[in-house]
Amino acid sequence: MSAESPQPPAVTVENLTKVFKAGLGKAAFTAVRDLSLTVNDGEVYGLIGPNGCGKSTTMKAILGLVTPTSGRTAVFGRPSTRVESRSEVGFLPENPYFYKHLNGLETLLFYGRLCSMSGKELKDRAREMLALTGLEDAADRRVAGYSKGMLQRLGLAQALLHRPRLVVLDEPTAGVDPAGSRKIRDLILGFKEQGITVLVTSHLLEQMQEVCDRVGIMAHGRMVREGRLDELIAVENETELVLADASPELLAEIRALVESRGHGARVVRSGHPRTTLEKLFLEVADQ
Amino acid sequence: MSASFSLPRIRTLAMATVTQLLRMKIMAFLLVFCVIVVAAGFAFPVMNPEQQLKLLKDVSLGALQLFSIVIAVCATALLLPRDLEDRTLYTILAKPVPRHEYLLGKLLGVLILIGAGLVLMDIAFSGVLWLRQSLVLAQSVAALQQEGTATPEAVAQLKEFVGRQGLTWNLHLGVVAIFFKAAVVTALTLMISCFASSTLFTIIIAFLVTILGHGQGLIRDYFLTGHAGVVKKLLSALLAVVTPDMGVFDVVDNVINGETVTPGAFGFMAAIACTYLAGYAVVSHLLFVEKEL
Repeated sequence: MSAESPQPPAVTVENLTKVFKAGLGKAAFTAVRDLSLTVNDGEVYGLIGPNGCGKSTTMKAILGLVTPTSGRTAVFGRPSTRVESRSEVGFLPENPYFYKHLNGLETLLFYGRLCSMSGKELKDRAREMLALTGLEDAADRRVAGYSKGMLQRLGLAQALLHRPRLVVLDEPTAGVDPAGSRKIRDLILGFKEQGITVLVTSHLLEQMQEVCDRVGIMAHGRMVREGRLDELIAVENETELVLADASPELLAEIRALVESRGHGARVVRSGHPRTTLEKLFLEVADQ
Repeated sequence: MSASFSLPRIRTLAMATVTQLLRMKIMAFLLVFCVIVVAAGFAFPVMNPEQQLKLLKDVSLGALQLFSIVIAVCATALLLPRDLEDRTLYTILAKPVPRHEYLLGKLLGVLILIGAGLVLMDIAFSGVLWLRQSLVLAQSVAALQQEGTATPEAVAQLKEFVGRQGLTWNLHLGVVAIFFKAAVVTALTLMISCFASSTLFTIIIAFLVTILGHGQGLIRDYFLTGHAGVVKKLLSALLAVVTPDMGVFDVVDNVINGETVTPGAFGFMAAIACTYLAGYAVVSHLLFVEKEL
């Protein structure tokens, strides 16, 4: 009887260090220092941090686009330095550009062929991806005429074309309007439902909060905090109670109850919760 | 699981390169070439028949060489830096595409474009040359008849002479030699673009090395037989090593003068071209595989 080998994590980064050599007379630049992280199969992992903290370099190392100075990276157990590791990965770079001479459909057919897809299967899948990303009407337009948001969606379509098990998204909402941004958020939530693993970076922390299971916070090339999102952002000594249609009398009673039987507990604040500017914009735009 | 060498993937990259270059209107060169050929074919009608045909061959094959070298350098120099700047390279190499396949696809794409361009220009050139040759023959026979010297022997001699100076298979071998030279320049330019920091740098260095390559034989001889100082010797040795011997492919003048390219000479050219292509492709891969994106 043979014991089943455990499923390898979607992404493994072990003690990754990346030093970029500089020109003559200039000091080398260390973009990532001794970074370790694991992205489990089926989860949405957010990598956040200020500009220049090493997020993109980490992603490139995972994709085999840069070679680690030390340490190792692997995708589904396969070292990133091997081409095979990319067969189950879809990648959306920050502000993607595509061959301007191709139209949307041709672009997807080009990337599909690179993934060894062909014939009717490829054409059908390309059409499906154009529909999923809302680019059906622009399928025959040259990519040169696409807006930033459309390029981003086309980038997402090419990343998903070959049914990857892992999707790596570098700033997927950069330069996209709130409606487009919301659409991308919904797509990420859809990936989660389908069991697709997502590794995402973004500066829109509110959106990251909505989609991520776990996050890692990077600064100066290092991982400074990592963990489950709900654990990281929970304020341990506070409890939130949200009431709908509560009368002033009821609120006064609750306050009195807390003061009389609270055993040291106190009301920190009360008032109307605020909606977000994004939600307000979307409601108004929908109207 | 993806194979580490896939011909369909290389073909996809090559055809994308061809389409990219075609849509950059790079083949407008063809129109310019046709105008030059037609102008050369029907200009200077006062020249003698030999000079007329020679001029046509001279100008046309010269334009073919210019076209192929300029396309080889400029088109190739644009490809890699543009993909890098536009970050198209990220999305391509993030797919299961080995870097050597990407390079081979780009190289093949430029070679297909140059090859197709040369075939089209060769057809245009051959057509004009055949027309001019027929016209020259008819005029010369008419002149002989006017002079009353149009004996069957004289007409046959004239036909043989014009035929030798006109359209022959040998001329097509000259065009193939031009393709070999352009292929070497393409591979050289691709190699330079793998380490160059800009397109302009690539273009300048590629043209410089190509020009020096035409005198590589002289540089080599200078190193082997010259009596210069150590510095000059070292410099000439370095130049002889880094420049391809373009003189090997210079058979156009011989072809224009009606000399025959022997199978041995043709085979030698082909072998040298293949060796340079393979050598530059291997060095390009070694440089590109280490490139940080």
